[in-house]
Amino acid sequence: MIRFFLKRLALTIPTFIALTFLTFMAIRLVPGDPVEVRVGEHGISPERLEMFRHQLGLDQPVWKQFLDYGWHLLHGDFGTSLSTSNPVLTEFLTLFPATVELSAVAMMLAIAIGIPMGVVAAVKRGTWYDQVLMGLSVTGYSMPIFWWGLLLIMLVAEQWHLTPVSGRIDLIRFDYDTPTGFMLIDSLLSDEPGAFVDAVRHLILPSIVLGTIPLAVIARMTRSSMLEVLSEDYVRTARAKGLSPFRVIGVHALRNALIPVTTVIGLMTGSLLAGAVLTESIFSWPGVGHYLIEAISRRDYPALQGGIMLVSAVVILVNLLVDTTYGLINPRIRHGR
Amino acid sequence: MNHLKMIGFGVAALLLGSSAASAKTLVYCSEGSPENFTPALNTTGTSFDAARPVFDQLVEFDRGATTLKPGLAESWIVSPDGMTITFKLRKGVKFGAIRDFKPTRDFNADDVLFSFGRQYDEKNPYYKVSGGKYDYYSDMDMPKLVKSIEKKDDYTIVMTLSEPNVAILANLAMDFATIQSAEYADSLMKKGKPEQFDQVPVGTGPFTFSSYQKDAVIRFKANKDYWGGKPPIDDLVFAITPDPTARLSKLKTGECQVSTFPRPADLPEMQKDPDLTVMSQPGLNIGYLAFNAQKPPFDKKEVRQALSMAIDKPSIIKDVYLGAGQAAKNLIPPTMWAYNDKVVDYPFDPEKAKALLKTAGVTTPLDIDLWYMPVQRPYNPDAKRIAEMMQSDLAKIGVNAKLVTYEWGEYRKRLQNGEATAALFGWTGDNGDPDNFFFFLGCPGGKPAASNVGKWCNTEFDARLDKAKQITDQAERTKLYGEMQVIEHDDEPVLNIAHSVVYQPMRKNVVDYKMSPLGRNQFDGVDLK
Repeated sequence: MIRFFLKRLALTIPTFIALTFLTFMAIRLVPGDPVEVRVGEHGISPERLEMFRHQLGLDQPVWKQFLDYGWHLLHGDFGTSLSTSNPVLTEFLTLFPATVELSAVAMMLAIAIGIPMGVVAAVKRGTWYDQVLMGLSVTGYSMPIFWWGLLLIMLVAEQWHLTPVSGRIDLIRFDYDTPTGFMLIDSLLSDEPGAFVDAVRHLILPSIVLGTIPLAVIARMTRSSMLEVLSEDYVRTARAKGLSPFRVIGVHALRNALIPVTTVIGLMTGSLLAGAVLTESIFSWPGVGHYLIEAISRRDYPALQGGIMLVSAVVILVNLLVDTTYGLINPRIRHGR
Repeated sequence: MNHLKMIGFGVAALLLGSSAASAKTLVYCSEGSPENFTPALNTTGTSFDAARPVFDQLVEFDRGATTLKPGLAESWIVSPDGMTITFKLRKGVKFGAIRDFKPTRDFNADDVLFSFGRQYDEKNPYYKVSGGKYDYYSDMDMPKLVKSIEKKDDYTIVMTLSEPNVAILANLAMDFATIQSAEYADSLMKKGKPEQFDQVPVGTGPFTFSSYQKDAVIRFKANKDYWGGKPPIDDLVFAITPDPTARLSKLKTGECQVSTFPRPADLPEMQKDPDLTVMSQPGLNIGYLAFNAQKPPFDKKEVRQALSMAIDKPSIIKDVYLGAGQAAKNLIPPTMWAYNDKVVDYPFDPEKAKALLKTAGVTTPLDIDLWYMPVQRPYNPDAKRIAEMMQSDLAKIGVNAKLVTYEWGEYRKRLQNGEATAALFGWTGDNGDPDNFFFFLGCPGGKPAASNVGKWCNTEFDARLDKAKQITDQAERTKLYGEMQVIEHDDEPVLNIAHSVVYQPMRKNVVDYKMSPLGRNQFDGVDLK
């Protein structure tokens, strides 16, 4: 087991190096110079332009910039944002809880609805239940996040006044410290009545939007895996023994059917974070996705690089974790059979 | 324990209820996070807006105007030769207290010395803090213009110039000239936390800063001791909302009272909404087509005039600006005090244009390059579309325009180096002084990256430009600028296209919001019904 883990861990190191190199180069291929973006219509003398470039190290050859960057990374220094002059890591850490909170709630929502949907579809295979549920999941999967978010804002928030439009908390009513950065926890710690409920209401729309695609994937995965399991002998045996259908499906079949679903849930972390970039900008959710969008528009190289690196690191680590857990559950995987 | 908690909740609810009833909170849906809270370090309107509630300048713009009024300087005297300006500072002005810092003294000359010193004096302890780039100070030519700033006594500052310049007063009303607390700077330096100076601002302004959460919210409280009187609202909240659709929704549901940068497509809906008011006015900007006066055949004014007559400006305004633009005949917009309304714009007349080209000795077909910007700017919503419309208009008089563009930074660089023959470009004013517009038609004087992208040089125009800069009499300056607009019209170095119209949406219960021609969002004096 330890060998398996170490092998996987060793694999992440070249992944990181490749990733660092690719993000670094990709960002530099995007047209636009961070110094020029700052200047606007104002003329700037070539000397001052050079001075700024020099201060930012942008006058160095690209390979040298890359080595410098790598050296700093090794020392845990993700650079300083060009637009705010704050360390990227600090900025990232203040925003990350918001993204984690949103993604976690979205994922829980996707699991809580997606799995029962898949089970029902499998059990009622071929009936109109199945067709409606799978139709919904295809719709959900192909829904453009942007459009879906705006639609919900317009209907639910604007027309029906059921939820707030955007943000994490009602800014007029509540003003308290946010020590953890997780609004659900902070609102409880604050002792302000109504704050928790308000934070939950703010979470509803963005988590629905972000959870839609994982929900669709989980529902489909559960359905197909469930169908496979239902045709296995042991399920037939359990049925023949006269166990209640609930026990057969809920305990015997579902437990085994969920193994591949778990993997999919792990793999979805990456796409969840990608979806968060859009969801956060629609709902003005102050998270990492939002931060990256802002960094792109300002050509803030260090912020963009650092942000992408950190997000990727999270995805890689989550996948490592999933692989390991999976290896623990299923020995066939770790022996490479 | 449970009982105690219940009582606690009850009391809190009561307190909340009572304070909510009496405290007036204005929520402004802003478009983005500020870079920091020291305007001298910034270049974006977003950052300036976020720092403005906390700070004052020596000289200030009247709310919603470009006229100047005394700020932290109660009065000023310009010496007869125009070389020194003596500022008398206001007494009894308090800096607002924040959690970590309680000021022990009033505002005085040291704060002025510190605030400007930081931007030019390498010995100033804050010179290098937070990146140490003072773009605006340099862009407004301050290092060259200001020879020294000295303290005569605690409430007198003497500024010595290297040459007379009237526009400098307008410069001093700009955000980069904000006055910050020297005492606060010292105390942070002693604590070893100088960066905090630019993140947690302390100023003499109408509001005090209370908290900021990146990409989410900035909170301010009314400054009860404000020298100009306490603002009518108690709390000011910036709800950072980058998506224009979300901003509109929040405005409609009342989650914010004032919003910003509406999308043109949303305007009709906003204007129909009975709960909203949409203010509008021509922006302090100009979108134009610059001709390169050093490249034939554009060195002949007849050619420049001919092209101006061949282009159907009203169609451009209608199709590209979609009503959010006003046709321009002068470089400066009509909201500016030196505007010469007597200038008559060139008519759209392709026949006359052809004749003019012939008189100038130009044989058609003529091939030219027409450059357009790759980005959307306040003064030009769609440069490519405009270029295409111009291209088809010009084809009708035998001028074949090849459309050219580059990445924005590259575009600007090449343009300023004089590489283009005819190019779309524009300008957004900084300080409301006409000089701030006319300077870029001044003789380039060999500056490599000068803003005069057409490299046009007219000595009559230039002489007036120089003179107008050095005199204080506004009537005299108006006359000079009026004449310059006539010269410009006659010589046509640029084809003035449009001043974009800017819109400001808000809820009906917002009282006395004034739209600034300078694009500033400002909340002192604003009330809620």
